[in-house]
Amino acid sequence: MRFFANKITLSCLIALIGSTCAAGELTTTVIDRLGHGVSDVVVTVALAETRASRQNPATAVSARAVPTAAVMDQQDLAFSPAVLVVGVGTLVQFPNNDTVSHQVYSFSEAKKFQLPLYKGVRHPPMIFERAGVVVLGCNIHDEMVGYIYVTDAAFFGKTDAGGVLRLQNLPVGDYRITVWSPLIADSSATLTRDVHVDEHETAGSRLQLTRELRAHPEPRPRRADWAY
Amino acid sequence: MKARRWTVCAMASLWAGFAAAEDPLTVVGAFDVRWVHSTGQLSYLDGGLGTLRFDPDHDNLRFGRAFLAPQLRLSDIVTLNAVVDAYGDHDRNLVDFSEFWADIRPYPSNAIRWHARVGAFHMPISLENRGAGWSDVYSITPSALNTWLGEEFRTIGAELEARWLGAGSGYLGDVALVAATYAWNDPAGVLLADRGFALTDRPSTLFGGLGRPPITFYHEIDRKPGYYAGLTWRHHDRLEIRALHYDNKADPGASTVAGGGAWRTRFSSFGARLEPTAHWTLIAQFIDGDTVIGPDSAGPDQFVMTYHAAFGLASFEWGRERLTARFDNFGTHQSSGFNGPPSNEAGHAWMAAWTHDFDYHWQLVAEWIRVSSGFPPRILYAEPSALSESQTQIAVRYRFHLGE
Repeated sequence: MRFFANKITLSCLIALIGSTCAAGELTTTVIDRLGHGVSDVVVTVALAETRASRQNPATAVSARAVPTAAVMDQQDLAFSPAVLVVGVGTLVQFPNNDTVSHQVYSFSEAKKFQLPLYKGVRHPPMIFERAGVVVLGCNIHDEMVGYIYVTDAAFFGKTDAGGVLRLQNLPVGDYRITVWSPLIADSSATLTRDVHVDEHETAGSRLQLTRELRAHPEPRPRRADWAY
Repeated sequence: MKARRWTVCAMASLWAGFAAAEDPLTVVGAFDVRWVHSTGQLSYLDGGLGTLRFDPDHDNLRFGRAFLAPQLRLSDIVTLNAVVDAYGDHDRNLVDFSEFWADIRPYPSNAIRWHARVGAFHMPISLENRGAGWSDVYSITPSALNTWLGEEFRTIGAELEARWLGAGSGYLGDVALVAATYAWNDPAGVLLADRGFALTDRPSTLFGGLGRPPITFYHEIDRKPGYYAGLTWRHHDRLEIRALHYDNKADPGASTVAGGGAWRTRFSSFGARLEPTAHWTLIAQFIDGDTVIGPDSAGPDQFVMTYHAAFGLASFEWGRERLTARFDNFGTHQSSGFNGPPSNEAGHAWMAAWTHDFDYHWQLVAEWIRVSSGFPPRILYAEPSALSESQTQIAVRYRFHLGE
């Protein structure tokens, strides 16, 4: 099931597009107020709406995310990964590899659903057709919270431990970078950057947050005999 | 005809849910055997006014508790739950129900999630008794406050909770309002007046009694329902705060032919549990209230008593080990209805415990507890009013989980 991991999705997408266009590279860095890299931040890179792209919509279409598949697992009373980023139209499987059953739900506008109590792989994958943040919960274990960020941007990924995301083989052009994380408290209006990607050159975008990250407690170990 | 059709539909949907549910029956259970050394006075469980579960006449090798907590899933959102207990003491029922309730938890369609419980269950106050079967996960013996809640209170009625789930709004936490109405809790307060606070892991069962002669707690005397209402706030899965106001609305002038009276018992409780790191747990709880028995027309003969109890607990866990220390402070004050020594208790207790998990099934718990308290009615038992009692327990617990 790991085959469907998000990075693979991204690679396929990039390979598909990169083979047909002149391509450049883009590095996005997200740092906190103290200059430390922020990991697991969703970065989406969409073609900026310029006069050229409006006149030649084929360019934008060719760079759109293609539907693919991804996995949101459940282990140790937590969603894994805690944040998943997928393109619009992606099929997401929700296996439960935990020792207990879960009831996964979302009441987010981007996707409302319920998966009746289950373990293992019981429910077919679901398609996520609307862009937006889908907040996941378990109706039995309230402490379980997960996020699926559904995007219609052409390119996307998450920052690494150093707060960096490198995207290669981007078609030359103007892009708008947007970052998101459930821990980022900055206004969404300040979380975009415009950048131009050139051939044979690495474009860089550095985004420093101005507000402190929301608290991110380490998962509390669960004792075997605890009811809650 | 309509009713029959509705019943058939309900049964069909229930059965469909049952058939589809994963592992419809799960059972959690545990039992423990202990070595006990006590320097206390005769325990109230054995007919005295000692504040601990065991006394020098009832120590050495002892059976602690055996319980089964089955859960039957009737549908995706409805479960039937029970806790069946055996304590191996003088209870009139060898095996008895401690709780039995239906749990209804619909999926949230917006940020508010509803949750209902109907049956007989513990009210949501204790921050120590978070284990299966309402067991204390930090030590053997809960605080004086939570001991008393386990002894004299059970919600026999319906509880409704509305919980605001913060994750959808970017907040890692939630806030819940809870309210319940119940009956069959009119005697609540009688044990506190007779004995004062105690520290034991011997809660009452639904159909049994505590002490000699046994006091039973779950009767409806005045045909008036009681209520409680409270608030729970969970912040970042690290801090939990609970506040609750309880009032059994009993008519203190009501009594049964057999002579049992209704105790008008009210209290407010507040508690916080902080888990600042993966290792530390800090808990503080307090309760403050009063209880009254006798008609209002009785004037100074009406029994009126106020009470308070509080504790602070610190626990450190690493790997398979947990160390816990707790300080309790408690007291009662009788202001009218004197008929002998006043029910004025003043006391405090220290507790230290160590738990070691050998594996999922086996656990070793060692606990030392010391209670110092004064309670004038003890002189009627030819005991000193002021007592200092201690109890050491080393327990071996076995627990299991069937289904899932």
